[in-house]
Amino acid sequence: MTAAVAQHGHVEAPRAPKTPRDYVLKAGWIRAAWMTCLFWGIGLGLVLIFRAWAGWDPLFDWSVITVVATLTAAPVGFLGGLGAFDYWVRYAAGSPTVPEDHSSHGGRTWSDYFRPNTDHKVIGIQYVVTTIVFFVAGGMMAMIFRAELARPGMQFVDNQTFNGLVSVHAALMIFLFVIPAFAGLGNYVIPLMIGAPDMAFPRLNALSYWLLPIAGFMMLLSFVVPGGAFATGWTSYAPLASDQPLGQVFFNMGVQWAGASSIMTALNFLVTIITMRAPGMTFWRMPLLVWANFTTSLLVVIATPFIAGSQFFVMFDRIMHTNFFDASGGGYALGYQHIFWFYSHPAVYIMMLPGFGIASEVISVMARKPIFGYRLMALSLMAILVLGFSVWAHHMFVAGVAPWLRIPMMVTSMIIAVPTGIKVFSWLATVWEGRIHFNTPMLFALGFVSMFVIGGLSGIYLAAVPIDIHVSDTYFVVAHIHYVLFGGSLFTIFAGIYYWFPKMTGRMFDERLGKLHFWMTFVGFNVTFFPMHWLGTQGMPRRVSDYSPRFGDWNMLISIASFFLGMSIIVFLYNMINSWVRGAPAGANPWRSKTLEWQVSSPPPYFNFDELPQVVGTPYEYGVPDARHAVFNGDRTTQLEEVHT
Amino acid sequence: MRRGSILQLVGLGILFGGAATLVAVLIPWLPPVASKQRDRIDFVFWFTTGIAIAVFALVAAVITYSVLKFRVRPDDDSDGPPIHGHTGIEIAWTAVPAILVAAISVVSGVVLVQNDHAGKNHMDVNVTARQFAWTFTYPDDVSSAQLRLPLGRPVKLHFRALDVIHSFWVPEFGQKQDAVPGQDTSLVITPNKLGTYPVICTELCGLGHALMRTSAIVMKPAAFAAWVREQKNAANGPPGDAGKAAFASNGCASCHTLKAAGATGTAGPDLDKLPAYAKQAGKPLEDFVRESIVDPNAYVQPGFPKNLMPSFATLPKTQVDALVAYLAGGPK
Repeated sequence: MTAAVAQHGHVEAPRAPKTPRDYVLKAGWIRAAWMTCLFWGIGLGLVLIFRAWAGWDPLFDWSVITVVATLTAAPVGFLGGLGAFDYWVRYAAGSPTVPEDHSSHGGRTWSDYFRPNTDHKVIGIQYVVTTIVFFVAGGMMAMIFRAELARPGMQFVDNQTFNGLVSVHAALMIFLFVIPAFAGLGNYVIPLMIGAPDMAFPRLNALSYWLLPIAGFMMLLSFVVPGGAFATGWTSYAPLASDQPLGQVFFNMGVQWAGASSIMTALNFLVTIITMRAPGMTFWRMPLLVWANFTTSLLVVIATPFIAGSQFFVMFDRIMHTNFFDASGGGYALGYQHIFWFYSHPAVYIMMLPGFGIASEVISVMARKPIFGYRLMALSLMAILVLGFSVWAHHMFVAGVAPWLRIPMMVTSMIIAVPTGIKVFSWLATVWEGRIHFNTPMLFALGFVSMFVIGGLSGIYLAAVPIDIHVSDTYFVVAHIHYVLFGGSLFTIFAGIYYWFPKMTGRMFDERLGKLHFWMTFVGFNVTFFPMHWLGTQGMPRRVSDYSPRFGDWNMLISIASFFLGMSIIVFLYNMINSWVRGAPAGANPWRSKTLEWQVSSPPPYFNFDELPQVVGTPYEYGVPDARHAVFNGDRTTQLEEVHT
Repeated sequence: MRRGSILQLVGLGILFGGAATLVAVLIPWLPPVASKQRDRIDFVFWFTTGIAIAVFALVAAVITYSVLKFRVRPDDDSDGPPIHGHTGIEIAWTAVPAILVAAISVVSGVVLVQNDHAGKNHMDVNVTARQFAWTFTYPDDVSSAQLRLPLGRPVKLHFRALDVIHSFWVPEFGQKQDAVPGQDTSLVITPNKLGTYPVICTELCGLGHALMRTSAIVMKPAAFAAWVREQKNAANGPPGDAGKAAFASNGCASCHTLKAAGATGTAGPDLDKLPAYAKQAGKPLEDFVRESIVDPNAYVQPGFPKNLMPSFATLPKTQVDALVAYLAGGPK
């Protein structure tokens, strides 16, 4: 990438007063509304024409209409109405386009956040805020089923609702919160960190964000269709899932939209990181967050098509009466799990590696020390990437896989502990003898390291086949995944949000409320999830609305702790909203960090760098006298000769 | 590092290790052991726990020590020492975890092979899983809804699923296996303690998943042989007995109440009130009972969810007839 940024003639679209006709026809929410309806009608028409032509009965098959019209055509209409495809449609139709049209770039007013915007900083904030909305929704579902689980027997909800709540909770948290929240933080930070003016494909970036609310809305919408929400768990195993009420297809299709969004973002990250690094930013000078998102993006583009395939197969079995997973028709029931976990195990790393990156940034800056063993940290990410594709069957040790497969997959799963261990020990060594600033981002980062160690250790139990046979599908697994995804991913997401909050908003959050949030989360989290370990080993299976009365007392404690944990979010939301509105100005670099995103104003200029940075060293040279990560054109006189070192 | 700080660090390590050990010892982590396989699984569990406690103590001690010792005031602008790495230490913390997980893998592998070995003298039991009940079929075609096993003899369970995936687990036996449609799976259990233990379905299998429970009864070998004889006689006896046997062996009791059979399930309608239900449905009692067995959704008693009860149309006609006679005849 060149220094072209500064020389661009930015074309601002003239903002002429709108006529009523403009309101209806120009890209926006009004056009989105009528185009959604129009495309739904087109989808309905297609189904009816084909069914009438083929002479199929019934003509109105709602499970087909739902998939084609409601879950496929209508969202395309919505995106078209918002204007996500305008440029491409104009280009494809041969109409004149404006090559340097930046009218859709940048967040100047609040309404710029409610339309397809090509500025990665706007998109990053859109992502983070949207994912927090779904996080709160998923969390409320957890509150409802924890209320049900407080006592044995049935109190508040019936079985169908319970299974639905558990399933939608997990699906939202995974597909609409953890994965896209990291994508959002990465979206905001990566171009800044590597010295780029934006992502490589800004329009694709805008589109990838807008797929997300569609996916989340679909999953929530499943609660209001006949038969209730999808209730087969987030794993949605066939053949159970092939023969469920209509809500199931909202999961099958929701995953497609969220997955497409992930793949687009990952491609964008890869191309951006490979081609748009500032001069002098070699791979070995990239911050570890960039490394982490680079490996994560590779995981996403390789693995995500597999879950898309698995969900399509389930839908084909349901709608077209194929027999991919139906044994009575010659299908292979276990095939679903192989395909599903071939994505969903790497997905665990998709949900973890960006968190490793955030922890590395925060720990190095707050301990005022270089990352210990930088190259090994980057290489261990690559090791996890490669190994991550060779362990999927450890989710299936009791599922009836070929017996010979179990020992090799146990060994590869165990080996992953080695690169993961390297990372944990390197963070500890980074903290050692540092000058530790014990503030909110650092609390969450260190909280992450300690909680993730527990999650990693319980992972060893689950990799050891004989123990796994005993604890598989029990609350031990529930405890493990929450130590990994809550203690791991969520803690780093919070660390990242607090760390970059000053950069995104230009304001400082309330440190005391941040600390309160951390300690409420830390205590509530451990009291909620730690007892689940022994509930599982003692004999409580997961995904049950009712359980043996002997587990009643621990479940009561867990439910009370989970409500406390739920309340901690109120502190977080209050702090974020209040500080965004009236927090103290943060300044460009409140943490005295060396990485590039802190070398520009908060919030950064619309095109990030008014002067192109020249990278001259690694990003973590704390305590090294006169060390620089980058110089800007203005002070080129200093150490340009270092570029090639 | 000074000697004093090493002592403090070791002290913290002992503190965290001790606390973790107390959690491991004081909490009853594992249910009572009732099979040889569980004995071996428990060994792997505690072997892994020993290593886990050591790793946890180390990490917790280092984090706590660092936070206590190296913390600075917010206005402190100084930087830490510029240490970039240390090859020796990095090799050590790559190698040591590798050795530890290798040890766990070896122990696990050995135990897995032993636990999968049924031996020559084993008994085969066929297990049929359906929404939401288990049926266990022993040699000589005796079947039951509760699993009965003779003490001390290895048993190989062969699983078959009729509809969706289910999973068989008895925590006291420690062994678990999914039953997968269209696929044969098996599991070896050698019971070594008399008693009655819960059988739990651990794979989400639909609305009634949480209710898909029965029990495993470990009996003295002589008592087991006597029970098998008794069952064989009942199946060949008068129709009432055949109906009662079919009621028991198809797991009806897990959802329904029926005084005569000692069934107390509450997920489905109370079968002692069948005549009243038949009147509500507007059908003759016998037809109504038959329809409710082979096509349960034709009439669903208000207050109970649709699609909860699976169809039993796949049962042999003799069994359905026996069941209808048993239920409609006013069970004695």
